[in-house]
Amino acid sequence: MSSKRILVPVSETSTLRETVGYAVKEALDGARSDDPGLVRFVWICSPQTDTVTDEQKEAGEEILSRASLWATEDAGDHEAELTVETAILGESEYIFSPSDVAALLEEEVAASDIDRIVLDPEYDPGIGAPLLRPLEVELAQRTNVTVDEAPVERATRRVPLLRQTSAAGVGVLFGTAFVFYQILNGAFTLFDLVTGTMSATIVAVTLARVSLNRRPDSGMPVRIVRGIIYIPYLLYEIIAANLVVSAVILNPRLPIDPRMTRVRADVVGPLPTTTLANSITLTPGTLTVRVRGQHLVVHTLIPWARDGLFDGSLERAVRFVFYGRGSMAIPSPKERGDTEVLQPPTEEDGAASTDPQTQEDTTGGAE
Amino acid sequence: MMGTIRAGAIIACLVLGLLFTLVSTVGVLRLPDIYSRAHTASQADTLGAGFAITGVVLSLGVQAPTIKAVLLLVFIFVTNPTAAHAITRSADEEGIEAWTVDDDRSDVDLAADAETGGENA
Repeated sequence: MSSKRILVPVSETSTLRETVGYAVKEALDGARSDDPGLVRFVWICSPQTDTVTDEQKEAGEEILSRASLWATEDAGDHEAELTVETAILGESEYIFSPSDVAALLEEEVAASDIDRIVLDPEYDPGIGAPLLRPLEVELAQRTNVTVDEAPVERATRRVPLLRQTSAAGVGVLFGTAFVFYQILNGAFTLFDLVTGTMSATIVAVTLARVSLNRRPDSGMPVRIVRGIIYIPYLLYEIIAANLVVSAVILNPRLPIDPRMTRVRADVVGPLPTTTLANSITLTPGTLTVRVRGQHLVVHTLIPWARDGLFDGSLERAVRFVFYGRGSMAIPSPKERGDTEVLQPPTEEDGAASTDPQTQEDTTGGAE
Repeated sequence: MMGTIRAGAIIACLVLGLLFTLVSTVGVLRLPDIYSRAHTASQADTLGAGFAITGVVLSLGVQAPTIKAVLLLVFIFVTNPTAAHAITRSADEEGIEAWTVDDDRSDVDLAADAETGGENA
């Protein structure tokens, strides 16, 4: 039986100190100097923009060095029986769901031969969703290592629903609510302007802390204008694709060739990814089935649509909306090698279907 | 004269809307599996409803309710892909294998697969 090898994902929390202490105590339990226990601290980046900023990385390194300092401190006289390692994970990937985090940790478990994961009860890598419970479930499904929460004294504080807000946030919400009120109302009399101002104020003041995910920044008006430019382009793509797909459906001689594909899209962040995935689905012939990090699993109906997807014109347009004109000039997913047909046309492909026995039975039953 | 052109445009929009809805219906009946059908089912929403609402906008002309009609279109364009994604994602989670031309399953097998959640696939 090897000694305890423990993986601890860390983030800036009030219970980190106690979690480190617990992990060290558990790792030292049963460790000898010729067979030292291991505590591996990992920090997961969650870039919200194109790349990880140096500031983010420094913050991560700071947390990691603090954790390893604490670990050495806690080991005290038994320092020789404990190995402490640190690592930063997920720099090159866009992490946005508990299963992404679990996948990263799973790789770590395999790479470092970990046999136990200790979770901080307040662990939150900042991906913008309550995480702990779904992460525990995912880890239990994916790995066969023990996963437990560190017992801490402090009462656990759950992820707050209310976020910080700013004057700009309130202002944006007020403007949206006011314009929406006037549109639905449609009369623009003095009475409506007064009641509209009143209700928009109430909405903005009471709901600004729950309805905006991030603070509005100076780039927002520019992105809105670029979004408006994007709409006619998207409409053109939708109509063109609709005509091609309609022809395929109405003409029995034109064959379909549906295949599942995977594309690694070069957009990052919840809103850009959603925009791209929705645009892909709106265009007939391509349909986003799953989003795993930056990888979109797309079902394509006909080769024409598949080529369009691999040429990445929609991806470029979405990059234009969120990152500006300069970002449009990137190679297509095909040139980057970021495309993959998950169901390649081979002879063996049919093997994935029903086994011969059942198939005979069902066909026989139908006749 | 202007009235005639406008009436013509309205009729053209409605006919196109109906046409795309028809295509979508035919597609849902003709295509083999849940993934391919989701492609064509959304056509009824995007261009079918799109042209119908364009017809409504033309007949309303420039007035306040027109903006509501346009907003309607915006919401359809946001919700339609979300619904299509939700349906196919759950199909994927159930483990339903997408049909390809190399696949020798018949539509009867596919129906059986859908019932068992693709367990015998």
